[in-house]
Amino acid sequence: MNLFQYISENYNKIIDLCMEHFFLFLFSLIITTIVGIAISIFATEEGKENIGKIIVSVTGAAQAVPSIAVIALVFIFVGIGKPPAIIALIVYGLVPIIFNSTSGILSVPREIIEAGKGMGFTKRQVLWKLKIPIAIPVIMGGIRSTATIIIGTAVIASVIGGGGLGDLIFVGLKLNRPSVLIVGAALSAIMAIIIDHILAYIEKLITPKGLKVKR
Amino acid sequence: MSTDNNSQENNKIKNKEEQEKSKVKEYTIELKNLTKRFGEKVAVDNLSLNMEKGTLTMLIGPSGCGKTTTMKMINRLIQADEGEIKLNGTSVYDIDPVQLRRTIGYVIQEIGLFPHFTVYDNIATVPRLLKWDENKIKKRVEELLDMVTLDSSYAYRYPLQLSGGERQRVGLARALGADPEVLLMDEPFGAIDPINRLKLHDSFLEIQEEIKKTIVFVTHDINEAIKLGDKIAIIRAGKLVQYDYSAKILYNPANKFVENLLGQDRSLKALTLKKNKDFVSNEGVITVSKDTTEDEVLKLLQKKNQIIAFVLDKNDKLVGRYWLEKAKKDKVEINYDEEPILIEQNNTLNETLSTMFACGEKLLPVVDRRNKFKGIILLDKIFEEFNK
Repeated sequence: MNLFQYISENYNKIIDLCMEHFFLFLFSLIITTIVGIAISIFATEEGKENIGKIIVSVTGAAQAVPSIAVIALVFIFVGIGKPPAIIALIVYGLVPIIFNSTSGILSVPREIIEAGKGMGFTKRQVLWKLKIPIAIPVIMGGIRSTATIIIGTAVIASVIGGGGLGDLIFVGLKLNRPSVLIVGAALSAIMAIIIDHILAYIEKLITPKGLKVKR
Repeated sequence: MSTDNNSQENNKIKNKEEQEKSKVKEYTIELKNLTKRFGEKVAVDNLSLNMEKGTLTMLIGPSGCGKTTTMKMINRLIQADEGEIKLNGTSVYDIDPVQLRRTIGYVIQEIGLFPHFTVYDNIATVPRLLKWDENKIKKRVEELLDMVTLDSSYAYRYPLQLSGGERQRVGLARALGADPEVLLMDEPFGAIDPINRLKLHDSFLEIQEEIKKTIVFVTHDINEAIKLGDKIAIIRAGKLVQYDYSAKILYNPANKFVENLLGQDRSLKALTLKKNKDFVSNEGVITVSKDTTEDEVLKLLQKKNQIIAFVLDKNDKLVGRYWLEKAKKDKVEINYDEEPILIEQNNTLNETLSTMFACGEKLLPVVDRRNKFKGIILLDKIFEEFNK
């Protein structure tokens, strides 16, 4: 059976798996972004900079852990099905977003924060008007890595019942049907590329102009 | 005879002192028995200091002497361990720190302009925190840009697009945003190259003459302290060593430490206390408008028996200089400089002297920060002053 024949015969199933993969990704990304940035904000509060620094080194090292290991651990402790798959995606996806947001906020120049405080910004204003906007490019970089990682890891998460495009790849492997495997691999790759482009565009949109001007 | 003179002199001094005592002084900032420890180290040690309204007080001392800590306790960026700080009679501990800081201008060495804000938004920071009306803010920003001699086109630039000197000017304008009575400045000109620093000093002094704020200015540069300060507070290891008017410190250093701080060339430094504007003269100065032709200038100069004429535009800004040169016997040539060497009215005699030596001129034109012609200054006058 050739590739085109497979696609035309299984059109609806492929679309369904695509949507499943996408929503798996979207849900995990939203959760990781909110939780990740919240953790970073907490860890970079004044007086807690040391916690922030520890978090940066821990998440820096954790990025080296292979995704399959995280999935295996979740399988052992939580079991099989959609929820364990989502848990694995969130846990693994949190690493880059926390790493980038924390180091981004920590690298906002000390004098900018001091000037803000000295002029009468409240703690909350220092965070939302100074720290976050200045760290936006780095935070967005973290969100982009997290997005790419979640899409890739979601493929593997299908082995513990996550569903999505991973199903096509593993079925293709088991039954030795290259066309099925190629469809799954190609679609997940295309999805990753498109989403990274969308996020790059958002990054451009929300990065303050003053940080981009030529000197 | 000489003893008589001395006693008369003493009486005079006494009278003066009594007069000063009888005047009720208005203190804007009162520091009383301030102490701050960082762990074992005592950063500020039982320090008391009163700063009068409208004066520029310099805090000077070696690094780590506690001068910056002292300043930061005023706007409560650092909490004092012991002692009292009063602002216009009210303890700063009775005011919410955030509200307090909105009423005090603050400039730091690295300036800390917000890179994602335009120049306009930077200057508008405190007025916006205080919820001023946008129209009022717009007027205030324009006024401040003009005050620090930045063109209004700068309003929509970003800090990354400015030079170091321009950033410093914006930093000062931002600190003055909501027209605070008190200004705290922590080595604001420390990171600027020497030439621009001189210019900024002069503009800053001129601005202070206009606005008369109560300013606390931290520095480690004794020349800067003498040049800018009305009064100087010398701090060492958290303790106040001497606090007085600049001239008094220069002529009567309290101890060896102050003497060393002032350096060897105290008589030359005394020239730093004198500003050009007190020695400007307009006697025999010839100014012409831009439209005057060379021939007319030549005739005018020969008639008045002078060799230099300054060219001013409609707004009295100095734009050029004509000067006569004897080329051959009886033949006189007229020359024109488009960018004549000039000095600012708030330059010190010291600086003027070195400029004169550097360019070999005995006479220099004096301008204000907007380049407006004020008159000339002569080398002879400086020597007269030096001989006093």
